[in-house]
Amino acid sequence: MQRFEFIGRFARNRGALIGAVLILVVALMALLAPLFFPVDPLRIVGQPELWPGEDADFPLGTDSLGRDMLSMIVHGARATLLIGLFASAVATVIGVGVGATAGYFGGWIDEIAMRAAELFQTIPNLIFVLTIVVILGSTLTNIVIAIGIVSWTPIARMTRAEFLSLRDREFVQACRAMGMGDLKIIVAEILPNALPPVIVLSSLVVAGAILFESAVSFLGLGDPNVASWGRLVGDGRQLIRSSWYICAIPGVAIMITVLCLNLIGDGLNDALNPKLRDR
Amino acid sequence: MALPLEVRGLSTTLFTRRGEMKAVDGLSLSVGAGETVALVGESGCGKSLSALSVMRLLPDPPARIVGGEVRLNGRDIVPLPEEGMLAIRGKEIGMIFQDPMSSLNPVATVEKQIVEVLRAHTDLGRWQARARAHELLELVGMPDAARRLDEYPHRLSGGMCQRVVIAMAIACSPSVLIADEPTTALDVTVQAQVLALLKKLQADAGMAMVFITHDLGVVAETADRVVVMYAGRKVEEATVDELFETPLHPYTAGLIGATPVPGAARAERLADIPGMVPPLNGLPQGCAFAPRCPRVMERCRQERPELTQPATGRLVACFAAERG
Amino acid sequence: MAGELASPAAPPRITRGSSRRVAALRLLRRRLIQAVPLMLGVVVINFVLIQLAPGSFLELMTAENQVSDPATIALLRTTYGLDDPVWLQLVKYIWALMRFDFGFSYRQNIPVIDAISVHLPATLLLMISSITLALAVGVAAGVVASMKVRTFWDTLVSVAAMFFFAAPSFWLGIMLIVLFSVKLGWLPVGGMATIGGTSSGAGGVLDILHHLILPTLALGLFYAAIYARVMRSSMLEVAQLDFVRTARAKGLSRNQVTISHVLRNALLPVVTILGVQMGTVLAGSVVIESVFSWPGVGSLLFDSVSSRNYPVVLGIMVLGSLVVIAANIAVDLIYMWLDPRIEIR
Repeated sequence: MQRFEFIGRFARNRGALIGAVLILVVALMALLAPLFFPVDPLRIVGQPELWPGEDADFPLGTDSLGRDMLSMIVHGARATLLIGLFASAVATVIGVGVGATAGYFGGWIDEIAMRAAELFQTIPNLIFVLTIVVILGSTLTNIVIAIGIVSWTPIARMTRAEFLSLRDREFVQACRAMGMGDLKIIVAEILPNALPPVIVLSSLVVAGAILFESAVSFLGLGDPNVASWGRLVGDGRQLIRSSWYICAIPGVAIMITVLCLNLIGDGLNDALNPKLRDR
Repeated sequence: MALPLEVRGLSTTLFTRRGEMKAVDGLSLSVGAGETVALVGESGCGKSLSALSVMRLLPDPPARIVGGEVRLNGRDIVPLPEEGMLAIRGKEIGMIFQDPMSSLNPVATVEKQIVEVLRAHTDLGRWQARARAHELLELVGMPDAARRLDEYPHRLSGGMCQRVVIAMAIACSPSVLIADEPTTALDVTVQAQVLALLKKLQADAGMAMVFITHDLGVVAETADRVVVMYAGRKVEEATVDELFETPLHPYTAGLIGATPVPGAARAERLADIPGMVPPLNGLPQGCAFAPRCPRVMERCRQERPELTQPATGRLVACFAAERG
Repeated sequence: MAGELASPAAPPRITRGSSRRVAALRLLRRRLIQAVPLMLGVVVINFVLIQLAPGSFLELMTAENQVSDPATIALLRTTYGLDDPVWLQLVKYIWALMRFDFGFSYRQNIPVIDAISVHLPATLLLMISSITLALAVGVAAGVVASMKVRTFWDTLVSVAAMFFFAAPSFWLGIMLIVLFSVKLGWLPVGGMATIGGTSSGAGGVLDILHHLILPTLALGLFYAAIYARVMRSSMLEVAQLDFVRTARAKGLSRNQVTISHVLRNALLPVVTILGVQMGTVLAGSVVIESVFSWPGVGSLLFDSVSSRNYPVVLGIMVLGSLVVIAANIAVDLIYMWLDPRIEIR
């Protein structure tokens, strides 16, 4: 019943609904890419630098080498979304772990955890990511982990705040009185109650992670085997005088995706705190 | 000569999604120079909204004045445009609010907040305004006034904050002062000091004062006349002595019974009027007080009692009181 | 003099600032003390990264493995104590960094610290101008939106904020170049100064400002979007507070109250966020510098990353953190100046 209300509130938020639908479209696109475009997107299929609409076979045109832009965008959605999701998952796991421990145990553990969060906020995030990637090698795994490592602090703070407010509630005290272990209380009792706002935040971290990954790829430091949207923008950079659309199109794709994720995050947030809606 | 404040048939309605609610319904009230009229009732009775209506400071939307007059020194200010009100607020009417700590801007000095009202209504220069602010602080009995000018509100106690708010309200010698529960948020000893201060300031300047409170103990000390409100309407009006001697409306009687007597157990005081103020969008058909009234009659549930004049200077809206 | 004559009763202005100044100094001292473990943490993370790296420490520190001079290698071995146990290496590494010895950049043939400090001013300039733009635009837009809430202007601000909050800064930069440099030809494509132009005097400053416009927009508009949203909701929240009603009861107009009472209180959350984001602003400038060939630390980092010049990369990370800590302290002081309730025991 309560869940039903939540979904209702979310669905009434027009922006959030549009965001959710568009993200589904992008996700489907990513999933079904090989079906629509079975040819390797990096293969040269036509004349180079065909403008969008110039040739009906290539609705979004071709790039400097004559590769199909549409095919590259559709295939790039996979890389972009997957990296965003996995990086956000890494950030959530670290953030929830640190935040839960800090909030539940308090005291010096909390102090250390919060100092660590501050530390990771101090190191300029992208510089940190680039440093990790350049030292450990620019593989997909390293990029995902690096983005996770610089994105966990807000999640940790949020989880900690939730745990602080929940740890002294009656149901937790009852569990303690029954002799339940700390780990079990944290995972089975408090975490499910603390999770909703954390999940909302995670959806925003996905958006941030996509922006991060696109910046890394744009700089040419992404995994050389993956053609994400950021890299397409980077590849098109040299041609802005003649064919600026090569840069523009993948950037629009990034922007729409991030915009939708933000709208969804806002919608979830409003649905979670209906009182704050009118602000 | 016209009275400083004369309110006639003032009605304020809240226009909300759940319908229109008559928050103030046909309130009339007059206050002479040097006189104090107490506006009494439980919270939610429309006292504060009445005061804000007089100030024309209602949150609009949802609240709007839909009828009546507010005559300030003879001039009706209800039809005035907002620009016209700017010259009146703080100059002709001063207002004091309930919670002194939150009534002051936390990031502005005491001086700035007092000088602001002086600069808005007088042509004092910066230094003259500062000197006047200092005088005002001394007038309201602020200890160490010169030093307090440069303090921020968080460094002051509740009582001191309220003195600053009072200083701002009387800065331009208004003819009418509205005090909305000015002592409720303060400690008992400080309450007495602030009350004494208000009375003294009023006597010295001959201000007309509207004193809003839910505490009849304070009324007995402060007021000349009392207006009792219930659910947005005036239900009784009398001089303070008559009211305490022979309350006519059962609600007034209940309030007097509910007045904290030192030493009385808390539960005992609160038990006097059972039930709660009805929500404005769910007023009963007849007398709004009928569901809680110990003297309720069949007629009370059918029709609403109008104000009648059982004796000179007294008003009451109650069928049971009419019967005696 | 005239003022004093006109008002003989005016009490002397007491040094309001003095106690606040003491409090500010206390805050400064406390933040500096807190910065020590923070910097230590950065250095340790650095050290861990070096240890995790494939290849030896020596290879990392000599960059590109092109140093074959045995004397140099021997010097490095003793400097970093490569034959020592790991903990001693860490101590020596910290000690080296404390003396601002970040190693030697064999690529540019100068110490790393010199290579970085040559590029630092350009980055700081870009950061400061972007933050200034973001604050000015964001706060103004937020105030307008809150004063015209639920009108066309409010919607316009939200839509614009959503757009700039989602647009990748590097892409926005390229699009700005396409529009303003390639199509319209109003602004330079990149760099910090016109090659062969006047480099000194007013002309030089104007030239730099001319080059600064697009990178500032590309980096700053993202943050302007955030501040606009925060400022709007903060303004609406503060407008509900009691003291706003008190101010209106004094006879001040809605606009006067907004400017002299609501604004300053509503700025506080914006300043808080500003502090949290200092690191990301610096990081963002790395990408923007690469887009606009801006000769700052970001360009240096990009070159060093591409050429695997590890000492420079690590040095930038440490010095970048130092800049962020300093900027954070500055933001804390601003916050304290805005909010007198902050008192440091």
